[in-house]
Amino acid sequence: MDFYLGLLQIMGVHTLLGLSAYVVLQTGQVSLAQAGFMAIGAYIAAMLTVLSGWPLIAALIAGALVAGLTACLVGFPALRVHGLMLVVATIAFTEIVRLFFFNFDYQIARGSLRVGPLGGEGFRQIRYFPENGWTTLHVAIFIGTVVALVMAALWWMDRSRAGAVLRAVGEDEIAAQSCGINLTAVKVSAMTAGGAIAGLAGGLYAHYTTHIEQSNFTILLATFAIAYPILGGLSSVFGTVAAVIFIQGFLVEGLRFLGDWRNLLFGALIVLVMNIRPSGLLDARTMATLRRLFSRKEH
Amino acid sequence: MLIVDLVQSIVDGLLFGATYALIGIGFTLVFGVMHKINMAYAAASVGAAYAALRLIALIGGPAWASLLIAAAAGGVFGLIIYWLCFRFIPLSNPLATLMSTVGMFLLAEEIIVHTTDGMPQNYPVVVRGILDMGEFMIRGDLVFVFVCALLAMVVLLYLLYRTKLGIATRAVSQQPVAAQLVGIRLNHINALTFIVTGMLGGFAGALIGSAVGLLSPLLVIPLTIKGLIVTVIGGLGSIPGAIIAGLLVGMAENVFQYFRGVTERDIYVMLLLFVFLVFRPGGIFSNTVKRD
Amino acid sequence: MLELSKLSKHFGGVRAVNDVGLKIEPGQIFGLIGPNGSGKSTTVNLITGLLGVTHGSIKLAGEEITNLPTHVRLETGIARTFQNIRLFGQLTVWQNLWVAENARAQRERSSFLSRWLGGERGARARITRALEFSGLADKADELAANLAFGEQRRLELARALAAEPKLLLLDEPAAGMNPEEIGALDDRIRQIRDSGITVLLIEHHMELIMAIADRIAVLNFGQKIAEGTPAEVQAHPAVREAYLGAAD
Repeated sequence: MDFYLGLLQIMGVHTLLGLSAYVVLQTGQVSLAQAGFMAIGAYIAAMLTVLSGWPLIAALIAGALVAGLTACLVGFPALRVHGLMLVVATIAFTEIVRLFFFNFDYQIARGSLRVGPLGGEGFRQIRYFPENGWTTLHVAIFIGTVVALVMAALWWMDRSRAGAVLRAVGEDEIAAQSCGINLTAVKVSAMTAGGAIAGLAGGLYAHYTTHIEQSNFTILLATFAIAYPILGGLSSVFGTVAAVIFIQGFLVEGLRFLGDWRNLLFGALIVLVMNIRPSGLLDARTMATLRRLFSRKEH
Repeated sequence: MLIVDLVQSIVDGLLFGATYALIGIGFTLVFGVMHKINMAYAAASVGAAYAALRLIALIGGPAWASLLIAAAAGGVFGLIIYWLCFRFIPLSNPLATLMSTVGMFLLAEEIIVHTTDGMPQNYPVVVRGILDMGEFMIRGDLVFVFVCALLAMVVLLYLLYRTKLGIATRAVSQQPVAAQLVGIRLNHINALTFIVTGMLGGFAGALIGSAVGLLSPLLVIPLTIKGLIVTVIGGLGSIPGAIIAGLLVGMAENVFQYFRGVTERDIYVMLLLFVFLVFRPGGIFSNTVKRD
Repeated sequence: MLELSKLSKHFGGVRAVNDVGLKIEPGQIFGLIGPNGSGKSTTVNLITGLLGVTHGSIKLAGEEITNLPTHVRLETGIARTFQNIRLFGQLTVWQNLWVAENARAQRERSSFLSRWLGGERGARARITRALEFSGLADKADELAANLAFGEQRRLELARALAAEPKLLLLDEPAAGMNPEEIGALDDRIRQIRDSGITVLLIEHHMELIMAIADRIAVLNFGQKIAEGTPAEVQAHPAVREAYLGAAD
């Protein structure tokens, strides 16, 4: 049972990670920085609960805010850099964040122990959950709730004018400008929102694994982050969720018997899907059809 | 801090940087022709070097032959990547091609790890010897690497500027539609670009192996990152830019390491990238490519 | 309504637009013509702000807009259509209009929240009306990329009008249309003018422009070579020369 709950926890965190990339990708910015934002959220939230005794939700929110703020600061120079250069710049950002935490020490004494992040060894003893009597089930439900809330918020945004504006910017910046859209505001806001969501994912991750280190937040993770929305289709949050469930659930865990060859399959799967269905599972056309089907049903 | 040691670092870095230049050229050439990045390039290059090692171990042969075999393998891998990631995906969907090369990258890395059980493979030394120049030492293997890389660049430039293939490639990179209208087969040129850059990459991978002394899957990600940094600093699509940027990054890397040690070295390389992105986003030789 | 003074745009040594001056009165249909490469599109891009001016000034209803960013000019009341239609293909017809309607709402200073979260009053009614007006009501949920060419043109126009501009820039709207469609376009433009919007029309289609424009300016090699009523412009020797070559 614990195994499946653990799986749900991983899927929850990865869904948030995917959603954070989803928001940014809609504006046409390919960002491999989400892993970096996640790292920031993770370390900040963990430091707040472990070193300063903060309650969990406050710490999570603080982690998300700091990550979001960082993303906002990253978002402005990102405007000057287009397309593939942005990919490289965000790769560099994630690496810098990772290397920063590799060199980051901040420990305080807690009784006879020293707690806090210790450079390459990472941050151990993030024991908020065990210390406060949370069971694996509690944690899984908590993560699930957070994910559901974020999904609901994004789903709602998709259907609002904000969602249409995000996509308009992603499709054609010149036309968008000429319709009165402030590109800077939209792109930086998307980056900020994405950063905050990634930070939230990081905070949750830190607490359920109880031990984080820089090698958890690599560029590889960042590529997973964009893989989910790209494979799932950028037209709906459900696409990203579906991709996470499929990849984490089926591929990583379901094919356990294949042992180490799972990762091979992942790479091959991506290549296959991109050839067969370049716009992802739930692309604009599919969504429009689905919407029509559902509205017809109501009549 | 001894000036001598610093200069040693610079020289070593410069020589090794030639390999970064080759990888950068590979990235930038594909970008120039197809306006896409092949994220799997460094992985394929290292993979080609592995393949060469395997082959030599199997059928025997002098160490230097590995360089040529790696080049050949690289060409084959390049073609495979072209077929799996670019040939059939509509080019108007840049996310899809990017993602597929990422998938290819994961695939390549996993294959490398699996076939070697993750153990580093020793790379045979091709050239030994150290040139003693009083206080300095010029490593023979690094000089060899540098010279080979230069040769490769010369061959490539010759190909690009003096052969029909090269002219066609440059035509496609500047005006794909017009190039087609004068009878250039786009798919052929694209495929050939991947083959040529693949060969270049395989050659570079082998050179890196011979300079470092071993091949390890851990090389792949840092090489990809540095290759991309070189490409961006040099200007997307600019070959002279990639060459200079490669030498620059190689040099800078060693200098940073000299001053701040290995753990902090990469931070400064990234910061170097950011400096360029802020002050000269087009790269050293901007204006080479107008589209993004 | 629109005043261009000494407007210039240099690209290195090339003077795409050179010292152009224009005055368009409110409620006019003003035509801008000239051979290919004469600087018409550049002028439009300067007016909307996609390009920055090298020299000169642009005033809308007396206000200086020369240095305002593009999206702000929308707020001040300029809207445009594109020569090669630039719709948001992956958005539905409804969403295309919805996005553009934001500019109008911004001008009215609707609250940020109601604008963005879609609860804004009247937006629905306005968009529905706009759809009926352009005959696209039954295609509201269709992806813009799936529309027929004529429908796309109508959507492009509806989108520009959704911003409720004071000045509408039409960039070669008749391109690719048959005579029947051009007749409908003629009526449409007059309707727009009658509703109080000033129109700047860039066109190659001479019959349309001569029939509909109140005044016409002619560009050649980036400079204005003539201005006047359609009749005056047609008779102007410099115009003849620009289009047909010097008389022998």
